[in-house]
Amino acid sequence: MAKILVIDDSAVIRSLLTDFLTDIGHEVETAGDGDEGVRKARADTYDVCICDMHMPKKNGYQLLTDLGDRKHNMQFIFTDSMPDHLGERISEISDYCQLRKPFDLTQLRTVLEHTLASVKVQ
Amino acid sequence: MSLLQHLHGVSIRAKFVVSMSIMLVISMLIVSGFLINRQSHGYRRELQATGETMIKIMAMNAESGVLFGSAYELNDLMIVLKEFGTVESGIIMNRDDSILAQTGHLCFDTVQIAALRRETRESNAFGFEYITDTTGREYLVLAAPVTSEQQNMSRENLGITGGVDPTLASSRSKETIGWIELGLSVENVDQAIATAKLVAMLVTLIVVIATIIVVVAVVSAVTKPVTELVEATDQLRRGDFSTRVEICQRDEIGQLATTFNSMAESLKQSRDEIEQYNRTLEEKIIERTQQLEEAQTQLIQSEKMSAIGQLAAGVAHELNNPLGGILGYAQFTLEKLRKNVPEKTTPKDIESYTRYVGDIETQARRCKTIVQNLLRFSRSSRSTEFEEEVDVNQVIAETVTFVEHQFRISEIDLEVNLADDLPVISGNAGQLQQVFTNLMINAMHASEKGTAVRINTRYSPALGEFGGALELRFADSGHGIAEENLKKIFEPFFTTKEVGKGTGLGLSVSYGIVKEHGGEITVTSAVGQGTTFTIVLPVQKIAPSTDTVTELGEKHY
Ligand SMILES: Nc1ncnc2c1ncn2[C@@H]1O[C@H](COP(=O)(O)OP(=O)(O)OP(=O)(O)O)[C@@H](O)[C@H]1O
Ligand SMILES: [Mg+2]
Repeated sequence: MAKILVIDDSAVIRSLLTDFLTDIGHEVETAGDGDEGVRKARADTYDVCICDMHMPKKNGYQLLTDLGDRKHNMQFIFTDSMPDHLGERISEISDYCQLRKPFDLTQLRTVLEHTLASVKVQ
Repeated sequence: MSLLQHLHGVSIRAKFVVSMSIMLVISMLIVSGFLINRQSHGYRRELQATGETMIKIMAMNAESGVLFGSAYELNDLMIVLKEFGTVESGIIMNRDDSILAQTGHLCFDTVQIAALRRETRESNAFGFEYITDTTGREYLVLAAPVTSEQQNMSRENLGITGGVDPTLASSRSKETIGWIELGLSVENVDQAIATAKLVAMLVTLIVVIATIIVVVAVVSAVTKPVTELVEATDQLRRGDFSTRVEICQRDEIGQLATTFNSMAESLKQSRDEIEQYNRTLEEKIIERTQQLEEAQTQLIQSEKMSAIGQLAAGVAHELNNPLGGILGYAQFTLEKLRKNVPEKTTPKDIESYTRYVGDIETQARRCKTIVQNLLRFSRSSRSTEFEEEVDVNQVIAETVTFVEHQFRISEIDLEVNLADDLPVISGNAGQLQQVFTNLMINAMHASEKGTAVRINTRYSPALGEFGGALELRFADSGHGIAEENLKKIFEPFFTTKEVGKGTGLGLSVSYGIVKEHGGEITVTSAVGQGTTFTIVLPVQKIAPSTDTVTELGEKHY
């Protein structure tokens, strides 16, 4: 059981992740854009953040820099549709898992479990 | 027109011949006229002299005949007279003018003959007169006294003989005892004069003709090469640079011919050079044009590719989210249903399943719409058919779906206000979509985060030819366009964007497309405040010629 923050501008992705992650026993909080995501991440602590890389009002990279030191409190899974320079820049400042959209739920589960395992190790 | 001006139009040969002939004829006429005149005077004097001699001899011979009134003797004289062809008449009269002998008969003008007689009687001497008779013939009438030496007669009568006593001799006196008149015909003289005139005229004619022939021959010899030169020059003028003259003379004309030939030769050379140059130039132009066309096609293609590339990112985002939803919900629902024990299924479960499947359906529909839009775009992009009914609002809405994701990421608002009374226009949706995409992306690139790009459509019945026009505005509050660039933005390859980000073809292609639709695209911009592009599209356009349509159609699409 982990506490997960989902940040995505797509409503269907947010509701899907909420449904699925809740079903497999996690606690889920969602945000519709980068700003809201930063606010929620600051307000609470989360184990994992599943975040869309391209979003209005702050992309994944800006979100990371905005969070500052707080970003080290949680693990990140970034989702995106196609590879671009943003991914490279994020990897410069943070370790993260990447999930290419559209993703399989089994894929997500594997990545999530892997991420949670590394949290436990820490 | 004066004579001189008249002569300008005449050939050299004619000028020569005419002037020479005129001069010749005039001089011949003067010379022969003078000669004939002189000769006719001579003839008359001769006639007069002959007549005088003849009449004096006759007077001498007639002395005794008159003295003794012997008609017989005098008639003999008359017969002798008749031997002379020129003598037409002869009269011998005594002192009282009674006719003693007569030959021929002339009807003389009595006044003239009377004058002659009076004159001769008064002077008691020889006299003559040209008298025209009643038939109009002219005669030389001569009159001379017939004299008798009376004192001699008396000396003889006195019986004084021997020795010559000059005093006696001088004392001898002649006494007029009668008159003799001769009528000489002038006709023969006139005839001779006429013959002379005729001969002179004939000679003149022959000389003139001969001279003309000679002059023509000489002048031809001189003018022939000139004519040849003139013809050759004319051929040269008409562009036959191979013309040469064949004149082998050592005079000035020969020199002229040589100069002409070398001139023609150098003309031919320079013409050939120019032609050669033109040919290579043409080839070069064709080659360059081809290269340029290829480059342009490539660039237009790459512009299209970049437009498609820009779209692809948007489309990928647009498609991936609903696809992820569908995939996820499908898996999730399946998993749940597999684990599901029918007896334990609660209405709440059913409700959840319904929501999941409903979401799947909604998202699948969204995918369908996106794919349809994309297909329509690609189909109309490829379609060579230019004229179709286009709902501009719909095209703008579709374009917006492709770019809105990029706008959202750049945090630029896209405010779209579409008038709902827009009539459809005839045009090409794919082309218009390319225009709108470019304008939207341009505006997005120029805009700062947090600002908005406003798109308005409006129907204006007053604009355009018939049926009004659509007015489409794409306004941003971006960095604007510098005054000096404003003129250049519609030029191909003009871009202020970094290499790889813009080809500079967007607006030039857009301009072409809008023109193709019979419309106008204009821009207003203030640096630091924003830019507005306005497109006016007529609802009905005057169709451009089919040529340009296909040409443009091939070029851009
Ligand atoms: N809305 C705008 N605001 C400011 N500048 C603009 C705007 N639209 C166009 N421009 C200027 O006009 C130039 C030409 O635009 P154009 O669309 O023809 O080419 P591009 O956008 O640079 O490249 P491409 O469209 O081929 O990718 C741009 O580089 C930019 O400087
Ligand atoms: Mg452009």
